[in-house]
Amino acid sequence: MHRAYKISIIYFAIFTLLLFISGYMIFELKIGFEAQRALNYYIGDKELFVATKTNSGILKLALAHIFGFALLSMVVLHFLIFTKFRNRVFVKILLYTILFAQFFEIFSPFLIINISEIFIYLKIFSFFIYISFITMVLYLLLKSIVQVKFR
Amino acid sequence: MKFTIIKDLNQDSMMKPILSGFLFFILFFLLSDFIVKYDSFGIFPHALQSTLFGNEEEFLDPISEASFLEFWHVEIFFIMMIIFTLSTIIIRLSKASKSAMFAVNLMMISAITSLISLPLAYYFSSKFINIYVITFFIWHILALISTFYSLKRLHYA
Repeated sequence: MHRAYKISIIYFAIFTLLLFISGYMIFELKIGFEAQRALNYYIGDKELFVATKTNSGILKLALAHIFGFALLSMVVLHFLIFTKFRNRVFVKILLYTILFAQFFEIFSPFLIINISEIFIYLKIFSFFIYISFITMVLYLLLKSIVQVKFR
Repeated sequence: MKFTIIKDLNQDSMMKPILSGFLFFILFFLLSDFIVKYDSFGIFPHALQSTLFGNEEEFLDPISEASFLEFWHVEIFFIMMIIFTLSTIIIRLSKASKSAMFAVNLMMISAITSLISLPLAYYFSSKFINIYVITFFIWHILALISTFYSLKRLHYA
């Protein structure tokens, strides 16, 4: 792998990890990882004077994330093409899982407020799956860089 | 990023105005960023101190944790995208010269440092505000110089 390319992957990995750390902190502060607390964020809580989220309100927040998630996943995943992992089955599983996780992470709130409260578990689960699987991809990329360097 | 494989960007009738347009808008963004940050969040230590921790004399409340995290989160994404696209263009137009590579690396490192020092200032010590200010200016100035240089290479090289 070209040296400049390897360095740019390292920079990108750092930015991505910062993005995940800040995202994790916001999720924990505003929504919460406990199911009941997260549910209260979406369906409201009369005792705490928290209003129910509307479809348009959720969409407003989702809008930036639709583009952001897509761009981030595309950039991180496309780097795998230049590694020895490109044809491995587990990488294909990683890829599809990431795509499904990001879809449900963004759109599960609509299921929560319109269909059933049970989808709160999907929201929390897909959030963790997305950030941990992308981190796994970053690990594979960094492993690939290090292996090429010390060969 | 297909423009990276076009042989002579200066002579390409499509890519030249496309890249010029993009670079002009990056220029507008960087200049606007100075103004907007100066007006809202602050770009000098005293203003940043007031924003993050409040100011009793001026009756200013500190920024809430949620607002701070949202600001930080959005900043990371925007800076990431701008710096990476700008770096690709600079490297391509300068044919990866040593000075261009040095500028790109310094810009990346100072941008990352500014993004790390901001939450450190908020959560741990206000001393990190100075590091944020210095690195904020370094990456913005480098980005401005690089944008001007790229426009020059595109039109006058």
